[in-house]
Amino acid sequence: MTGKARSALTPAALLAAAAAVALARAATPGGGIGHYALDPAKSTLQFTFTQAGAKNQGRFARFPVTFDFSAETQAASRLEVTVEMSSITTGDQERDDTLRGDDLLAVAKYPQAHFSATQFTRTASGFEAAGKLTLRGVTRDVRVPFTFRTATENGTAVGYMNGAATLHRLDFGVGQGDWKATDQVGNDVEVSFALRLTAAR
Amino acid sequence: MALRNTTRRWGAVAQLLHWLIVALIIVQVTLATLADDAPPLRRLGLLARHKSFGLTILALALLRLAWRWANPTPELPTTLRPYQRSLARFTHVMLYALLFAMPLSGWMMSSARGFPVSWFGLFQLPDLVPKSKALYEGMLTTHSALACVLGAVVALHVAGALVHHFVKRDDVLRRMLPFATSSQGSGK
Repeated sequence: MTGKARSALTPAALLAAAAAVALARAATPGGGIGHYALDPAKSTLQFTFTQAGAKNQGRFARFPVTFDFSAETQAASRLEVTVEMSSITTGDQERDDTLRGDDLLAVAKYPQAHFSATQFTRTASGFEAAGKLTLRGVTRDVRVPFTFRTATENGTAVGYMNGAATLHRLDFGVGQGDWKATDQVGNDVEVSFALRLTAAR
Repeated sequence: MALRNTTRRWGAVAQLLHWLIVALIIVQVTLATLADDAPPLRRLGLLARHKSFGLTILALALLRLAWRWANPTPELPTTLRPYQRSLARFTHVMLYALLFAMPLSGWMMSSARGFPVSWFGLFQLPDLVPKSKALYEGMLTTHSALACVLGAVVALHVAGALVHHFVKRDDVLRRMLPFATSSQGSGK
């Protein structure tokens, strides 16, 4: 046993080693829990709805995401998504204004939608998040299947998260008065997302 | 009444197509007029039907042209003067052209707006043109202008039919009417 070896066992060195391991885990695919935040420029949150019998699409421009995830154990994992409802676009100003209005999304009164999940399970094709979605002031349980893969790009850990879930707009009161009718605007709205997440801390 | 045309009389198929399209055009004008002042959701429903009926007219127009090619065309009365023949020919060419131009300009207008078109919610049609605000506005103007032209040509067509029936007292109107008998029926 040399003096050099003994010095490696000092508390400071142990802490440094532990920190290095923790960092390596956060940055390593499959290794423990990763902490991620959204890369907004390379992420999309879209939805498809039926209007007058035809499929139409829209998206949200602003939807901050934080994601703590262990792909191995799914323990201590947490997904938080906040959607700025006024950032909705369907490519048509008149329609967007209608969507933001009181009878539909009522963005003045409910400026944000929120999805929060702490329960994750592995599925045949990936994972499933079970959480609560609050939209237009109504909170409901929602399950979101998704895939998740990690990569290292330019020395940074990144995660790619993709998935889709079908919501029924009327469950959340998106459609008041005449808009409760589903013959021209369907009840089913398929929400899909393709997120690029970067290691947050 | 025979299904096929003769050189003297329109057959049942040609008559059915003619009068069906007449009825649908009346429906179209009604739906478009109602949609103009309707609130957003009602407007959506009215215009969805307008588009579905428009596509129906387009399909019927294709069928009509095909049937016309496959059948004899009843001849115009020999009493017509050359300018009257030209006018009749012009009116009919315009009517056929508009039966295509109206739905196609409407379809393009929808595509340019970014609203895909569905036929009565049963199936969705492809977009004819890419989404473009300038193109949408151009097509909106075109569709409205063509509607005015159609109105004028239909007026001419109806006036022509009435002149034939009441002034010239010939067979031209009657041979497009399902229940009228032809006064010149001898030449079957």
